[in-house]
Amino acid sequence: MLSLYRIYIGNNIQKFWMAFSIRIGLAGHGWWLLSLASLAVVLVPIIVALGTLLWHSQTLMFRNLTDVYIWRVVWFSWLQASISTLLSLLLAIPIARALARRQHFAGRSLLLRCFSLALVVPTLVAVHGMILLHGHQGWINQLMISLNSSGYHYLYGLGGILLAHVFFNMPLAARIVLQRLETIAPETWRLASQLGLSSKDIWKHIEWPHLRTVLLPLTGLIFTLCFTSFAIVMTLGGGPQATTLEVAIYQALRFAFDLDQAVLLSLLQLVCCGLILWVGLRLGRPLQLCPSTQQRCQRPDLHSVAGRIFDGWMLFLAVLLVLLPLLAIVVNGSNDYWHVVLDDKRLWYAAGNSLWIALNSALLTVILAMGLLLARRHLQLRLGWHRAATALEWSGSVILAFPPLVLGAGLFLALRSWTDVFALSLYLVVLVNTLMGLPFALHILSAPYLQLARQYDRLCSSLGLAGWHRFRLLEWPRLRHPLAFSLALTAAMSAGDLGVIALFGTPDVSTLPLLMYQRLGSYQGEAASVTALVLLGLCLGLFIVLELGLRGKHD
Amino acid sequence: MIDLQGVVCCIGDQQFHFELQLPAGQCIAVMGASGTGKSTLLNLIAGFETIRDGKLILNGCNSTHLTPKQRPVTSLFQEHNLFSHLSVFDNVGLGLHPGLRLSQLQRVQVNEALAQVGLAGFGKRLPETLSGGERQRVALARSLVRRRPILLLDEPFNALDPARRQDMLKLMDQLRRSKGLTVMLVTHEPKDAVAIAQQIVFLHQRQIYLKGTVMEVLASQKAALLDYLAHPVIPNSHHTIV
Repeated sequence: MLSLYRIYIGNNIQKFWMAFSIRIGLAGHGWWLLSLASLAVVLVPIIVALGTLLWHSQTLMFRNLTDVYIWRVVWFSWLQASISTLLSLLLAIPIARALARRQHFAGRSLLLRCFSLALVVPTLVAVHGMILLHGHQGWINQLMISLNSSGYHYLYGLGGILLAHVFFNMPLAARIVLQRLETIAPETWRLASQLGLSSKDIWKHIEWPHLRTVLLPLTGLIFTLCFTSFAIVMTLGGGPQATTLEVAIYQALRFAFDLDQAVLLSLLQLVCCGLILWVGLRLGRPLQLCPSTQQRCQRPDLHSVAGRIFDGWMLFLAVLLVLLPLLAIVVNGSNDYWHVVLDDKRLWYAAGNSLWIALNSALLTVILAMGLLLARRHLQLRLGWHRAATALEWSGSVILAFPPLVLGAGLFLALRSWTDVFALSLYLVVLVNTLMGLPFALHILSAPYLQLARQYDRLCSSLGLAGWHRFRLLEWPRLRHPLAFSLALTAAMSAGDLGVIALFGTPDVSTLPLLMYQRLGSYQGEAASVTALVLLGLCLGLFIVLELGLRGKHD
Repeated sequence: MIDLQGVVCCIGDQQFHFELQLPAGQCIAVMGASGTGKSTLLNLIAGFETIRDGKLILNGCNSTHLTPKQRPVTSLFQEHNLFSHLSVFDNVGLGLHPGLRLSQLQRVQVNEALAQVGLAGFGKRLPETLSGGERQRVALARSLVRRRPILLLDEPFNALDPARRQDMLKLMDQLRRSKGLTVMLVTHEPKDAVAIAQQIVFLHQRQIYLKGTVMEVLASQKAALLDYLAHPVIPNSHHTIV
């Protein structure tokens, strides 16, 4: 009797388990394994890093909250990020509109190409370009002096930070705004020309309603990027007047080794960025970072003289802001020191390291992003757990708010007692860069991936197409372009990142950005210029080769 | 009337030739397989495509080089006819003033047009709260307030269910009669042509292939037309039914 009962219970448990596993889709699928692994790779380092720092900070850290210095730093972080975001958007919208209206001007495709490359120009290189252009000995000052005017000194402090932030974020914003404008249906433009809408009416009735949805998340993204920017503020800012949280964290860790302060500052940063990201993502639609094919549109507002003049000025300003610093780097980098620098073994060693870091972290980033998206697809489409799905993708974007230096420092302290951290430093850099690239990869991949899944998930299930075959036959051919773009972007970003290597780079372990930073610091201007050019070449080369090489012929 | 004299137009590497005279006040159904130039023909008349060569005369006025706004034409597309963030009233009002500065009289006109298409009292609603058929009615109301004698319809009722489609066709026909409009309607459905059109223009290989009254064209035995229709709409008396 008892044994029968046992069999009954056992059967029921088995049945229940089968029903459950069918319901959540465990049966026969390894999706959850990959997804869990991805989630672990994302969350474990963050938790370990933050936990270690909290553990090591002995005193009650909140006493520091009364410190005037901290609040000044917080205030300046908000101030510079707000102005940078505002300036970038205010310039990006008319510039994107000018690009949308002038489909046929000569340098359009070159300018657009440069706009997409601005995202992958290493920060340090861009800063170098800014110094060459706007610094005391810069082109603009020399021009002013030759015109018998006194020189201007606006580069160091808020002015320079804003210039550099606009250099990076205006092109990004302009591209996203332009893409959004290009999604307006051709019928709408026909209607506008039939109704005789003026440029102002078009802005009011067509463009603004279209842009509104994308502006909030765009503001959130740019604000976060400016808020957490490190190399720009460290080189052009500094001093108690112009220090952001990210730089203050670096100073606390590297110079004062004040863990309490570092933990407090990073928590403050996490709160600030988290707030902004949450508002941006909550209220807007996801951004499309990957360039798409554009369509011909017949706008009725092309022919007014005022419009032509305005667009002309805007495009001129875009060239001035984006192309000139790049030009300065190329011109200054081609100096007589090039053979000295290129003969130096350290350069090639550092370049090798950078390449290795870039390729590894890009590959890891894309695998992680796909793992998270796979889980998201399963949760959202098959199980209908929408909240869980969104939360999962959120976990990937949280990193955007988490200072990489804190991540690096926390991991450093956590691993110190176990192993020789300096021997592991390259792997740590790969890990941190991987996590830093993840929000970008997710941004690029998530919309096309989910759309594809929505279209074909049922068909795939009915055909039994799953796992590797599904990736090979469906996802790879259809997602080739966004995959190539995210690989290229994360590789280039990671090759040019100064970030964590500044914390535990040693003379033995160096990367190109670190080498350049050291040369800038020791006043080897010419050598730094050549290094900057090599670094720029590496990043652009990586980006172009990966994107064009992998994306295939068809979009 | 609509008069295309040796009109040539190029899109990409495709060239279109149109030679066509249509009387005023009639409904003309434009038929033909995909890619034969039905939409291009309408776009040329509306001014959305430029004319490479030849002459376009609309109601006695040479319109070859006029902007879309200056032509005596108004269009209705298959979708995207309305601005989704503007109310129904404002969407119609745009037909009277592109900056929406409307006089009292014009406001009355908008409401009258809405009543004519059977949407009295819908003025404050947003397009997203309307059904597909209602949205097309709003667009039709806007065409009415614009008071243009030529109305171009590019498969405007394709997304509608059969009953709604019949209603819209009836409404179209009634408005054409009362306002004396010339209507060009792109359609794939011979029944639509039979229901409201007086003439059919059949396009093949990027030019006008057949033109005539509805009965003439549908009874034609030309191979391209038979291919397109798949089976004859009007039973031919020569065929014996077994």
